[in-house]
Amino acid sequence: MNLTSLLAAVLEQSTPILLAALAAMITLRANILNVAVEGMMLAAAFAAVAVGDWSGSAWPAFLSALVVAVVLSQLLALLTLRFFADFIVAGLGINLLAAGGTLFILERYYNSPGGLRPIAFPDIWHIPAGSLSWLPVLGPAFEGQSVIVLIALVAVPLTYVFLYKTPLGASLRAAGEDEHAARSAGIRIAAMKALSLAISGLLAGLAGAQLAMDKLHFFLPDMTSGRGFIGLAATLFGGGQPWMTAAASFLFGFFGALGDRLQVFAIPSQFVLMLPYVAAIIGLTFARWRILVRNRPARIRDNPQ
Amino acid sequence: MAPALSNFLRVIRAPLAAILLTLALGFLLVASITDEPVRAYRDLLLANFDSLGNFALFLNRATPLTLIALGVVFSFRAGVFNVGGEGQLYAGAVTTTVVAIAGASLPALVLMPLAIIAGFLAGAVVGWIPGVLKVRLAVDEVVTTLMLNIIILLITSWLANQVIRDTTAYGAVSWMVPNSIWLPPLPFVPRATSGFLVAAVLAVVSWIVLFRTQWGAEVRAAGTNLRFAEATGVPAARRVISAMVIAGGLAGLAGALYVLGVGHRFEQNFSPSYGLVGLTCALLARVHPIGSLATALFYAAMLNGAAYMQISTDVPRSLVNLLTGLLVLLMTARLRRAAQAA
Amino acid sequence: MPTSKRAPESVLMSDPDIILSLAGIAKSFGEKAALGHVDLDVRRGEVHVICGENGAGKSTLMNILAGIHQPNAGSIVLNGKTVTIADPIAASRLGIGMVHQHFTLVPSMTVAENLFLGRQPRRLGIFSDRRQMADRARELIARYNFHLDPEAPVRTLSVGQRQRVEILKALAFDADLLILDEPTAVLTPPEVDELIGVVDGLRARGRTILFITHKLREVKAVSDRVTVIRRGRSISTRNTADVTEADIGRDMVGREVFLVGRKGSAQRSFGAPVLTLDNVSMTNHSGRRLLERISLEVRAGEVLGIAGVDGNGQTELAEAIAGLMPVQAGKIRFGDRDLTDADLRERQQAGLGFVPEDRLDRGLSVTMSVAENVAATNYKRAGLLSGGLIDRHKLDSFAGDKIREFDVRGAQPSTQAGWLSGGNMQKLVIARELERDPSLLLICQPTRGLDIGASEFVHARILQAADRGRAVLLISSELSEIFALSDRIGVMYSGRMMRILDRAEADEETVGYLMNGGSKEAA
Repeated sequence: MNLTSLLAAVLEQSTPILLAALAAMITLRANILNVAVEGMMLAAAFAAVAVGDWSGSAWPAFLSALVVAVVLSQLLALLTLRFFADFIVAGLGINLLAAGGTLFILERYYNSPGGLRPIAFPDIWHIPAGSLSWLPVLGPAFEGQSVIVLIALVAVPLTYVFLYKTPLGASLRAAGEDEHAARSAGIRIAAMKALSLAISGLLAGLAGAQLAMDKLHFFLPDMTSGRGFIGLAATLFGGGQPWMTAAASFLFGFFGALGDRLQVFAIPSQFVLMLPYVAAIIGLTFARWRILVRNRPARIRDNPQ
Repeated sequence: MAPALSNFLRVIRAPLAAILLTLALGFLLVASITDEPVRAYRDLLLANFDSLGNFALFLNRATPLTLIALGVVFSFRAGVFNVGGEGQLYAGAVTTTVVAIAGASLPALVLMPLAIIAGFLAGAVVGWIPGVLKVRLAVDEVVTTLMLNIIILLITSWLANQVIRDTTAYGAVSWMVPNSIWLPPLPFVPRATSGFLVAAVLAVVSWIVLFRTQWGAEVRAAGTNLRFAEATGVPAARRVISAMVIAGGLAGLAGALYVLGVGHRFEQNFSPSYGLVGLTCALLARVHPIGSLATALFYAAMLNGAAYMQISTDVPRSLVNLLTGLLVLLMTARLRRAAQAA
Repeated sequence: MPTSKRAPESVLMSDPDIILSLAGIAKSFGEKAALGHVDLDVRRGEVHVICGENGAGKSTLMNILAGIHQPNAGSIVLNGKTVTIADPIAASRLGIGMVHQHFTLVPSMTVAENLFLGRQPRRLGIFSDRRQMADRARELIARYNFHLDPEAPVRTLSVGQRQRVEILKALAFDADLLILDEPTAVLTPPEVDELIGVVDGLRARGRTILFITHKLREVKAVSDRVTVIRRGRSISTRNTADVTEADIGRDMVGREVFLVGRKGSAQRSFGAPVLTLDNVSMTNHSGRRLLERISLEVRAGEVLGIAGVDGNGQTELAEAIAGLMPVQAGKIRFGDRDLTDADLRERQQAGLGFVPEDRLDRGLSVTMSVAENVAATNYKRAGLLSGGLIDRHKLDSFAGDKIREFDVRGAQPSTQAGWLSGGNMQKLVIARELERDPSLLLICQPTRGLDIGASEFVHARILQAADRGRAVLLISSELSEIFALSDRIGVMYSGRMMRILDRAEADEETVGYLMNGGSKEAA
């Protein structure tokens, strides 16, 4: 039973990270380091809560989360691809805009800068309790999880198939890996990058919807709390490959679930929460070090120490 | 003099356009909310100069922004896309606090420089890591600085909550640092920190170092083309790393001076994204040290002005967060044609 | 207005044997005229070489045919119809396939994926049909007998194999007219021979090939006819069989080629050795030898030219002498001093001037000003510092002097170096490195991409340095340059110094033989 509850916690913690990671991965394959996932998630979470509160029904809330995130992604695409803004700077701008915009709306229209807590909030579909009891351990862990958890799990093979098994995916990867080659094959680079950003927005929107609609049913100005960046870390740790990225996301989700439990053993939660970021830096450093050792000429005399 | 002036105008045209466009969009927004948009905008931009007290707060706000922007200038000129200002700032602030609290029994004459140097060094170490990783292993510095930001924030959160926490106070704040090592106020402006003077002097020093010394020329050569710098005999990797150490150190110094001059203790939430806003100031100034001082002053005026605006009209102060987002988003955009040859 | 590739009924008053006819093509970029007037007739099924010096306009002409640039004047008649080639896609629809000097392949993708990039066959409308892709790739490879594995990722292929993939890519879309832009520049000698075989095979299958080169030897080996372009104008078109290499060379430069060379050591006396390499070896991490026991000596007043096909260790040799890459064995001495482990700055102080092979890579910072570029190694020596700070007035007047002395056109001290033309950039690098009057000038590919005027200027400066008693080590893959400037000629092949010949005993045949890896004894 304990294992089941840990599994359930890991699944719950991992889902927004996994979606954010896939969002960052799809743009990374188009050679964009997408630092705006965090902001798109935040805006999506807010849209879900605001529309859910207003309409009283789950699907408009869910859809508006996706729409808001995709719109933000296309704003980023417009500024970077059409007006040549820097991807990193403009991406950070999206984050600031999402944080500032939601705060502004909270203050101005809800008169509550601390957050938005609807009294009643529509439920999104969750796997009914007891429906998977025939599956030992794993089944009960899935019970009570939202439909977005299932979408996230399906998104992993879907992105894999898209990237590696479709002509469009091949064009996107070519645009990301070698613009000169892609352009000479008649591929429109800007269109591919905009497409990758749109998909990224969709996935980030799902992540934001999961945060707001799964259990919490409210919005806080800092509710994404760096999950977009953990997702980015997971993607980089996974080398931009769908399966490895998913594995890294679950690993980081596991750290998160562990963090809640380790407080009992007097290990400060901050150090557990830190693990994904430390892992990303070490993982990247190690990968670069291996490439260096493999490809560069020997530097025997270069480093006397 | 005329060509210099026209050159200056050409250089500031684009950032000026971004600022004006953002302010114009903001004005439309304000006009839709309040009946007194002009009043609101006057307060946003000018209320800082209504009283000496306001002016002091304005200078206090500009100090960390200037120092962080200067750090960004050093790193960007060395070709490192350092977005780690926030982490470097926090590292400096918390280290200064820890040293000040731990060394409270030392004489002020020893403790004050010690605490400031410790803050500078802490930021420098946080700048050194991405610098070394980029130069030696080509690890992407955007990723390492972003990740380090969060790591440092978590460490300081642990320190502020569990180690140096003032148990009598509400929230994650440390004990006060001994008031013998508080920075003296600025002459003639009672409540302003003299840290501003340090920041203003360092802006000029940074300009001289980067643009009037051979060391600076070598840093910029390494920043624009590392392999060219190597081929002219410049120890390019070392120059890039030193520039990153200085960049981190300046942001760390911002934290140290904030603690000793304004906050007098470490507060976990003391920075309204100074790291990102400092980056914004540096980029708006076209990565120029003196220009960064000017943009930091402008931005400090906006950040504080938003509060006055909220008091006098019903425009929420978070308007300024929204405008910052817009500005950062627009800042690097260009209206040029994609006509350049491949 | 899509133009159909074959339109027999609309062929008017044209010779059906002519696949492509250019008349009066002109193109200028801003004020600079790249092409003045080019006429060209290409016959169906021939291999036609376009020959010309660097900067003569060959690449511009080919980029017009590939749809990358639009001509300002003149007409293009393809298969009897006047056409406009709006972009690369239009060119490929018209049956023109371009093989660029820089490959357009995605390294992580397989040969088959690269062949069909952007036009993959589909299954169920959205999925890639990998089997069909592999089958079609295999069929193409077999048809042209190219010996490639369709499933191999491109990053695992050699340069020669990649080039064949590139050619197949053009052929996969039924290119009738194949343009090869300086295809041999990146190839080793055996790969060049293979390429010539490939071109012969394509001709046998009825393809027409435009082959661009400035290497005279290849003209004879590969072509049916040759058109020479000089300074943006077509000078002559002749049957290759009827001309000699000297004829073509004369047309290329507009006068007798192979300027009278230096006399060689027999007629001249040189000073003491300035640079000595003693059995220098360099290894990469996987253990492959990049330099294999190189020994040489450059004496004061002497130009030692190092000839060789690109990629046979010349770059590594230069970097080893400059101290930018460490060597694993052997000694490097400047005069009597052992500087094997010294860094570049120490070597500069010992008298080294270094002009790197690629001015955009190591030579300049294109975003820094002309003044800062030309001062980079000279702040102390030229007295540009006062009180430890850079004196702007001295810096500007120093840069102004250099601009005048080296005739750097279109430059102010504050101009960004990137705005200059290639020749003027090169002058800037040379001005910087000659400022210290180095006792050893290491100069690599000094006229690559330069027009004739700038080349002559650079050559004069090199000889001037030697005449003043400086030692010059000249590394160049332009044989004509090596012959024109060197007192002795060393030939590199595969990381080894095949032989060092005196100018008097060096003739083109011997050097060419050594460049292709011929054994020392046989030469």
